[in-house]
Amino acid sequence: MKRIHLTGVLLVALACAAPSRADESFAAVSELVNGKLVKLFGSGGIRGLASYGTGVVVSPDGYILTIQSHILETPDLRVHLADGTRYHARVVAMEPELDVALLKIGNDKEKVEDLSYFDVVEAAKRPLPETGSGVLAFSNLYQIATRDDPLSVQRGVIASYSKLYGKMGIFDAAYTGNVFVVDAITNNPGAAGGVVTSRKGELLGLIGKELRNELTQTWVNYAIPINAKVDVPLGNGQTVTVSIVDLVQKKELYQPPKSNRDKGKGGGFSGIVLVANPVEHTPPYIEEILPNSPAAKAGLKPDDLIVYVDGLPVGSIQTFKEVMDRYRPGMEIKLEIRRGDKLTTMPITLGEPPRKKQ
Amino acid sequence: MRYLTLAALAGLLVIVAVAKPSLLAGDLDPKLREAEAKRIAVIEKVRPAVVAIFAPGGQGGGSGVLINDDGYALTNFHVVEGPGSVMQCGLSDGVLYDAVLVGLDKVGDVALIKLLPKKDGSKFPFAAMGDSDKVRAGDWSLAMGNPFLLATDFTPTVTYGLISGVHRYQYPAGTLLEYTDCIQVDTSINPGNSGGPLFNMDGELIGINGRISLEKRGRVNVGVGYSISINQIKNFLGQLKAGIETDHASLGALFQTEAEEDALPKMVVTNIIDSDARRRGLDIGDQLVSFAGRPMSNVNQFKNVLGLYPKGWRVPLVYRRENDKVTEKREILVRLMGVQRQELPGADGQPPQPGPPQPRPPQQQPKKPTKPSPALKFFEAKPGYANYYFNKMERNRLLAAFKKQAGDFSAFNGDWSFKAGGTVKGKRAATVITVRDKGAKDEKSPVIQSIIDGLPYELEPLDVSQSSNALKDPPGSGGLLLAMYNYRQFLAFGEKGGFTEFNHGGTEPFYLAPPDKGTPDFSKLRVDAEVIRTEATGVPCKWYFSTKDQTLLGLELTPDRDEDPCEVYFSDYRKVDGRLLPFKIEVRYADKQYAMLEVNEWKTGTAK
Repeated sequence: MKRIHLTGVLLVALACAAPSRADESFAAVSELVNGKLVKLFGSGGIRGLASYGTGVVVSPDGYILTIQSHILETPDLRVHLADGTRYHARVVAMEPELDVALLKIGNDKEKVEDLSYFDVVEAAKRPLPETGSGVLAFSNLYQIATRDDPLSVQRGVIASYSKLYGKMGIFDAAYTGNVFVVDAITNNPGAAGGVVTSRKGELLGLIGKELRNELTQTWVNYAIPINAKVDVPLGNGQTVTVSIVDLVQKKELYQPPKSNRDKGKGGGFSGIVLVANPVEHTPPYIEEILPNSPAAKAGLKPDDLIVYVDGLPVGSIQTFKEVMDRYRPGMEIKLEIRRGDKLTTMPITLGEPPRKKQ
Repeated sequence: MRYLTLAALAGLLVIVAVAKPSLLAGDLDPKLREAEAKRIAVIEKVRPAVVAIFAPGGQGGGSGVLINDDGYALTNFHVVEGPGSVMQCGLSDGVLYDAVLVGLDKVGDVALIKLLPKKDGSKFPFAAMGDSDKVRAGDWSLAMGNPFLLATDFTPTVTYGLISGVHRYQYPAGTLLEYTDCIQVDTSINPGNSGGPLFNMDGELIGINGRISLEKRGRVNVGVGYSISINQIKNFLGQLKAGIETDHASLGALFQTEAEEDALPKMVVTNIIDSDARRRGLDIGDQLVSFAGRPMSNVNQFKNVLGLYPKGWRVPLVYRRENDKVTEKREILVRLMGVQRQELPGADGQPPQPGPPQPRPPQQQPKKPTKPSPALKFFEAKPGYANYYFNKMERNRLLAAFKKQAGDFSAFNGDWSFKAGGTVKGKRAATVITVRDKGAKDEKSPVIQSIIDGLPYELEPLDVSQSSNALKDPPGSGGLLLAMYNYRQFLAFGEKGGFTEFNHGGTEPFYLAPPDKGTPDFSKLRVDAEVIRTEATGVPCKWYFSTKDQTLLGLELTPDRDEDPCEVYFSDYRKVDGRLLPFKIEVRYADKQYAMLEVNEWKTGTAK
């Protein structure tokens, strides 16, 4: 285990030690990658939702990986290959926990074969790229490319490999795993489903949705790593691991597990009872901790003042409630509390809301 | 064994420690240093050519780039729109220069200005133009200019990024500011960068930055910028230098991309109006194969190529027609029409262009002009022209060069005539044409008299009562008599030859007459030419001079704007009395040769 880790670091280090000429053009790589991407057209076009997006060819016979979004909600889903050939596409499988979907073009009558594609299984085996490594992003942002025009290429670096800020809840995304945050401005209409690759054109991840952090008002440029995995709780204490690789391998036979996570808003139970809220902007002081609750287990006490939830300042009871409302049972969050004159970080795993006793 | 393994691991660790690139300057890979040094050198080289443009009073502005040492600089139309005819420009030497507007391309969002040197005769630094057709997506690029008017000392801001795409199309606002065949970049450009240069990593000018995509983040760059390709600007440069307010081109045909499922898309004509394209044979249902040499596979690509050319240029077009069992493929040479101009920008559709920067810039304070700008000396208004002063300048320069090359004909104000053999309408025939200055019935007006293949033809060019068909005599020539009248007037009298219009028309390609047999190779027939446009007796004429040596290559006379012109080709120039006259005159009309005249004798007379 240790040896493999070292080897991984060595490989990456060697790769960094011999950089290609810094001003070397990526024209050849761009052409190669572009040949494996498609333009997607479907539902949308109203209320600021784009009706176009991008997708990745993952098999020579026309399976296409993309982001699960409103675009797919139509029987008239169309795909343009790199050479401009147009196909009708259908959704064959989806994994909501990963925000991804698999499409297929062609059928018995119009056979699709010999397409250029990305081998997702191989790509997922590669070690994670280092923070700071250069990347390229390919997508049809702003629908600039039509028909057989090549997609748009942007350059950037991996700024971090981390959870989407605040996990699920702050963002309207199902995926709760780690993402690549990049400094290339990929957060633009039409980019979802595009790819982030190494500067050699190796697939690293899928460009995500146009997500915005409501509290900081910033648009996050992120990509879901191609080796993304999520453990989905089934409710009977068991979890099953879902991955993009799994989806791409199983194709029509893929069945998303039925998660017992409440997909609706919030539901995460802490057991914290706050002081009454007589004036606007009453700070969130703890009045009482319910016995045997997650907050009790975490060590929270009455008179604690909650200052941050997962790094987000919560200056009032209202804000605290709004923020907490977005977390679901099972999620681990960090509360920063002020006790006396000390600030302490308290991790707390939210639980299921207690059922009324029968 | 275990120790060996440990030693090997230790060795690996050592290698890792050494090989992993450190961020400390001393350990930087020499290749990176080299690339950085080269980048810095390129920026140093081109920086002096970058211009910061200010409206009088210092309100708002943009960027530009010098393209020759006389002080001509390119920028966007929307940058000079506010200032108008004169403006002030800062260069990175810290000096503020006065500048005058020279030429405009409103549809393509390009403007040419000229900086005035502080001392007569001093030269400006300038950027060399590259070949934008060589630019590929994935290449690196540099953008320079004055985003947010940050530079208080006129030194440009430099940004570095990728070419994201080439041959991109961006819709116009109304009919103006259409970005065709443009370069898409993620090199950061922002309000204030407009009009500034895009360089490749060799420091060659490949584009003029002018637009960014905007949506949810306000008026700042979101990773998508657009540059007008320098190759497009090169096509318009002749007209811009001649002070013209140019127009872009239209074909007179509508296309649609047709694609059955599973098939490669193709472009088909769905509608065609009465235009040169129609007269050349294009019709509804024909498939557009290539246009100006570029294969056509979608409508945006067609719009891209169309946007590269000024109105009036001739471009080759290949189409395919399938009927029943026969598939016909033809290449034609089409004269491009103008674009119908409608309202000004601000119409619905596109988001506003980067213009006044955001946030509100610190006010640059070049001295408020207490007297009118010295640049106004170089400005003359005239409808259809951005600055007529430069048109006169270019016209006079060309005429002087032509006179030097061909000789001065001003002494020959008498009758002109020539006798020729050769062919007329395919068969051998003799031709005599005489232009008599006062030979008309009233003994005051001119007349053109001729005997062609035994038949007499006569035309009084100033006779307003005659039918428009007479202007095209002899029949089938398109207007040879009138052409020869114009020829005498031009050579002997120049702008004083009774012309109601006598202006420089920019540059455009001239195509020599195609050979009698076989399909013509237009790329081989093409010659770069400068144009003079004249109009006399209500009939316009275009005169083509080789840009290389100012030889008069030919003319196009258009008696009827809805029909083909009379094309006259001059060659085999020989000296007559120390002046050059053509001894081969080919006349063509509507794709057919009317006559191939082999001149035996020229007579250019002097009035008594």
